[in-house]
Amino acid sequence: MSTANPGGGKGGARRLVPSFEARMLLPALLLLAAISLFPFFYIIYMSFNEVSLIGGVDFEWVGLENWVEMFTDPNVRNSWITSGVYFIATVGLEMVLGIGIALLVHELVWGKNLVLSMLLLPMFVAPVIVGLLGRFLVDSTYGLYAWFLESTGLITWEILGSKTSALMAVILMDVWEWTPLITLIVLAGLSSMPQTVLEAAKVDGANYFQRLRHMVAPLISGVVVVALLIRSMDAIRYYDIISVTTNGGPADATKVIPIRLYETAFRFQELGYAAAIGLGMLAFSILVANLFMRILRGQERAR
Amino acid sequence: MRRRASAAGAMGVPGGLSRRDFLKMSGAGLAGASLLGLAGCGEQSSQGGGEGWKQYSGMTLNFISENTAPTSAIAANLKPFKDLTGIDVKINQLELGALVQKVSLDVSSGDPSIHVIYADPYQVLAPFSAAFADLNDFEGDDSLPSVKKGFGDFIPTQLAAAGRFEDEEALYALPYDCPTMVWMYRKDLFEKYGDKMSQDLGFDPMPSDKITWDQYYEIANWFNKNASEVEYGSGHQSKQYDSLMCDFSNIMWSYGGDYFENGEQVGKIGTEDPGASLLDQDGAVEAATFYQKLVGISHPGSTSWDWTALDEAFRAGNIAMAPNWHEFAAGIEDSNLGGKVGYTRLPGGPTRSASMWGGTGLGINGELNEDEQRAAWLFLVWATSPETQLSGLKSNVGGGTPTRQSVYEQPEVKNATKPPTDLPNMLTYDAVSEAWKPENIGLRPKIEKWNECNTVIFTELSKMLAGDKGPEQAMRAAKEGFDRANGA
Amino acid sequence: MRGARQVALYGVVALVLLWTLVPLVWMVLSSFKSPDDLVSSTPRLLFAPTFEHYIGLFTGGNALGGYIKNSLIAAGASTLIAVVLGCLAGYGLARSRFRGKHHVSMWIISTRMAPIAAVILPLYAVFRALDLLNTTPGLIIAYLTFNLPFAIWIMNAFFADLPVALEEAAMVDGASRFGAFWRVALPLTAPGIVTTGILCLVFSWNDYAFAQSFAGPGSQTLPVAASQLITQTGINWGQLMAIGTIVVLPMVIVGLAVRRYLVKGLTLGAVTGE
Repeated sequence: MSTANPGGGKGGARRLVPSFEARMLLPALLLLAAISLFPFFYIIYMSFNEVSLIGGVDFEWVGLENWVEMFTDPNVRNSWITSGVYFIATVGLEMVLGIGIALLVHELVWGKNLVLSMLLLPMFVAPVIVGLLGRFLVDSTYGLYAWFLESTGLITWEILGSKTSALMAVILMDVWEWTPLITLIVLAGLSSMPQTVLEAAKVDGANYFQRLRHMVAPLISGVVVVALLIRSMDAIRYYDIISVTTNGGPADATKVIPIRLYETAFRFQELGYAAAIGLGMLAFSILVANLFMRILRGQERAR
Repeated sequence: MRRRASAAGAMGVPGGLSRRDFLKMSGAGLAGASLLGLAGCGEQSSQGGGEGWKQYSGMTLNFISENTAPTSAIAANLKPFKDLTGIDVKINQLELGALVQKVSLDVSSGDPSIHVIYADPYQVLAPFSAAFADLNDFEGDDSLPSVKKGFGDFIPTQLAAAGRFEDEEALYALPYDCPTMVWMYRKDLFEKYGDKMSQDLGFDPMPSDKITWDQYYEIANWFNKNASEVEYGSGHQSKQYDSLMCDFSNIMWSYGGDYFENGEQVGKIGTEDPGASLLDQDGAVEAATFYQKLVGISHPGSTSWDWTALDEAFRAGNIAMAPNWHEFAAGIEDSNLGGKVGYTRLPGGPTRSASMWGGTGLGINGELNEDEQRAAWLFLVWATSPETQLSGLKSNVGGGTPTRQSVYEQPEVKNATKPPTDLPNMLTYDAVSEAWKPENIGLRPKIEKWNECNTVIFTELSKMLAGDKGPEQAMRAAKEGFDRANGA
Repeated sequence: MRGARQVALYGVVALVLLWTLVPLVWMVLSSFKSPDDLVSSTPRLLFAPTFEHYIGLFTGGNALGGYIKNSLIAAGASTLIAVVLGCLAGYGLARSRFRGKHHVSMWIISTRMAPIAAVILPLYAVFRALDLLNTTPGLIIAYLTFNLPFAIWIMNAFFADLPVALEEAAMVDGASRFGAFWRVALPLTAPGIVTTGILCLVFSWNDYAFAQSFAGPGSQTLPVAASQLITQTGINWGQLMAIGTIVVLPMVIVGLAVRRYLVKGLTLGAVTGE
C-alpha cells in the first residue's frame, strides 16, 4: 500500500513540506501497524488452519475448509440474517430517533442545554451494564418495565422469553444507549447551520417541513453520514448487551454474528473457523463503510 | 463474587460465624491432620501431614475459578493457607464462560500463568484434559503432604465424574463443589392443599421420588387452577443456555433416553470417541414431548430463566415448585420463604429418577514447571480438606456443600439435616445423598466436544419450546448436530 | 400559535426524557434498596434507603477501589496517547497530498472494525510474549487498537476543515511548520480534540471484551467487576446497580463538563480524508 509514500519517497524529494507531514503521521501509523497488522495477518493465516491450543498454539493447514464451511453452514447464515435485522433495526432506529430528537431539541427556546445534558447520559453507561440493567428492568419477577407492561396489559408474556420480543428488547437496549450519540452529532450539525438563511426562508413563507426538506437536509446530510458510519462500525462488532441478556436465545432469535463468532472461538475452541467468520465480518464492515464514504464524498462534491 | 466477599467481610461481626472461628478451625484442623490421617486411614501410603507444607514459601499461585460459594469463602479467608504454607494465592473469579475463555488463552500461550484451575468436567476438563497434571503423582510423593483420608474419602461418583477423563487410573481434579438438582417445593402449600389435591388427582401428591413426572405435571396444573398464592405451579430454567440442557436431561434419563450408548460410563469416566448419539431414540423423543408439554403449562417466564432467575422467581413466591440446584437452599432459607420449603429427589419416570450433578473439581495446570505444580498441589490439598469444606458449609452466606463423606458423618453436620438448622444447605442432604448414588446420579457426557454438543441440544430444545420445531424434529436435529461435532 | 407549538414540543421532549432517564433513575434508586425491596414484585418507590451495597463493594476481599483505579488509568492513558498521536497524524494526513491517501485513511479506519473475538487470540499471543498480560499497560495498548484509528480519523476531519490560509499566514510571520500547527491549527480544533477525547474515553471506559481477556486480578476494570457479580447462585442486583452508578458517575461528570465543546466539536465536515 502507499503508506510509506508520504514519507521519504519521491514526494519528499520534491519539497520539504511532505516530510514534515510524514513525520507527523509516522509515529501513529507505525504504532497502529504494530498493533493491527500482526493480528490481521494472524487471523488470515488462522482461517486456513485448524488451530489447537493445548501446549501452545499449533496450526494444521486445512486449506479452504473453514471458508467453505462458513459459506455453507446454515447456522452461520441464520446468524447473518439475524445480524442484518439487528443492524438495520438498531442503526435505523437510532438514526431516525436521533435526528428527530436533535431537530426537536434544536427548536427549544428554554432549557436547551439542560435537556441535552440529560439526553446524553445513556451513552456513558458501559454496554455490559446496559444489558444487565435492561435484564433487571424486563424481568418478570421484579422488573419495573415488565410490571408496567403487564399491569397495563400491553405485554403479558415474558419479554426475553419469546423470540420477537427478546429481539426487540435487545434492539431497544442498544437504541437507548446510542441514540444520544446520533442526537449529539446531528445537533452539532444543526447548530452550525447559518441561521440567516433559515430566517429568510421563514419570511418567504416556507413551512417547517419545506424548510427541513430543502434547506436543513442538504446542510446536515454530511454530518448524518458521519454519525451513520460511526454507529455502523460498532453495531456490527459489539456483542456485550446480547451476551449478558439473552446470549443468543430464545431459539437463536438473538444470535447475531459476533455472538456466534465468540462462541465458535472460545466455547468450541474452533479458532480457525472463528477467524474465517471474523474476516467475513470485517469484509462486511469495510463494504458498508465504503458505501457510506462514497455517499459522503458524493455529497461533498454536490455541495 | 462481591456479595460473597462482602458478606464474608461481615463475618467478623458478633453473632455471625467469625473469622476467628474459621482460623481456629482450619489451623488446628490441619495441624492435626497427620495424626488423624494416621489413625483413621491405614491404607494411606503417605503420612505427609505436617511435613512439607512450607517448602514453597514465598511463591505466588494463580487460581482461576467460577464465581461459586466455596471459592468466595476461600477468597475471604486465605490467611490460614498463607500461615500454613507461606504461599500467596491470587484468585480470579469469573463467570464460567469467561473462565473457559481464559483457560483456552492460557494454555494457548505454551507458557501458562494459571496454576490452579476450577475444572468444570465438561467445559474445561474434557476439552483440555491434556493440559492437566495427574494428581496420583503428588499423592504418591512422600515429600509432599497427601490428601487427608485419601482420595477414598471423596464421594465415589463425584471423584470419578469430577476427576477422571478417559482413564480409570489418572486423576486430574479433586471434587470441589457438587450442586445437584433437587425438587424444591412449597411445603406450606402442599400442607394446605394436600388433601384437596389428593382427592382431585387421585394420588398422594406429597413430593418424593415415588412421584412420576406425569404426576408432577398434574400437580403443577392443579396449582395453576386452584392456588391463588402462586402464579403458576411449576417453573423451569429453560433459557437457551446450559440450564435448559440440565433441566431436560433429568427428564430424559428418567424416560430411559440418553445422549450416547453406554451413557453411564461416558458420564462418569468420559471418552474421546462417544460414537453416534442416541438423541433421536424413543426415550429421548418421549421426554422431549413431555418436556414441551410441561414447560407449556409452567410459568411463562421459564423460557427466559436460567437457574438463578428461576431461583429468584421461586423465592418471590411466583411458583409452587421447581427442579433446581440444591445449593440454592441456603438462600431460600434465608429469605422470607425460610422454613416453608421442602427439598426432595426429582420425580421419576418409566426408567428411574435421575438427578443432574453439576459439580466441579480443582486441577493443576500440567504445563507448569515441577515446583509450581507441587506448590499448587498444596493448595488443592488444603482447599478440599475436610476443615475447609466444613467452614465453607458453615459460612453464613451459604457456602458450598462438602464433597467428602467424612464431613457428612460429623455429628454437627448430621444434626443439621432437619430444621431448625444453622447449615441450611444440609436440609437437602437426604435428597442429594440419595442422588449421588451411582444408580441415581445424572451425568451428562464427558466428551471433548461437549461445549458444542451442549449448545446443539439447548438450542434445539429452545427452538422446540418456541414452537419452531416439533419434539421429534428437534431431537433429530440435535442428534445430527452431536454426530457432526463428534465426527460420528 | 407559537406558544401552543412550544407546549407540544416540550410535551414530546418530556416523553423522550422519560425514556432516557427512567432506567438510570431506577438504577440509582435500586442501588440504595435493601435486597427485599429490590426484588419486590410490585416496584417500590418509597423505601428505607441503605448503603449496604456500596459498603459491600468497598470492603471485603475484592474491594472496588482497585477496579476504579485500573479503569481510570487504562482508559485515561489510552485516551491521552490516542489523542496526542491522533492530533499529530490527523494533521499530517490532512495536510499531505499524495496518491492513495484515500486508501491510507480507509486502512486506518478499517483497523477499528476488527472483529473483537477473532483478534483476541493473536493479541493474547503478543501480550504474552511481551509480558503484558494482566497488566495495565497491556490494557492501554489493547484499547489503542480501537482508539488510535478513531482519533486519527476524526482529527483528520477537523484539520481538513480548517483553512490552510491561517497556517500559511503564520508561516509568513516566521513560524515553523510545527509552530503553525501548534499555535494556530491546534487551538482552533480544541473542540474537536475534546470531542475525540471524550469519545475515546467512553469507548475504553466501557470496554468489557478486552478487559475480560487480557486483564488479571490486578488490572481488571469496572465492567469486569460488574460481570463478576453474576455468580453461580445468583446475581447481586443491589451491588450491580451500585457499580452501574459508580461506572456512570465519572463519565457523566466528564461528559457534562465538556458538553459545550462536544456540541461544537462534532461539527464535522469532511471525514473522507480528501
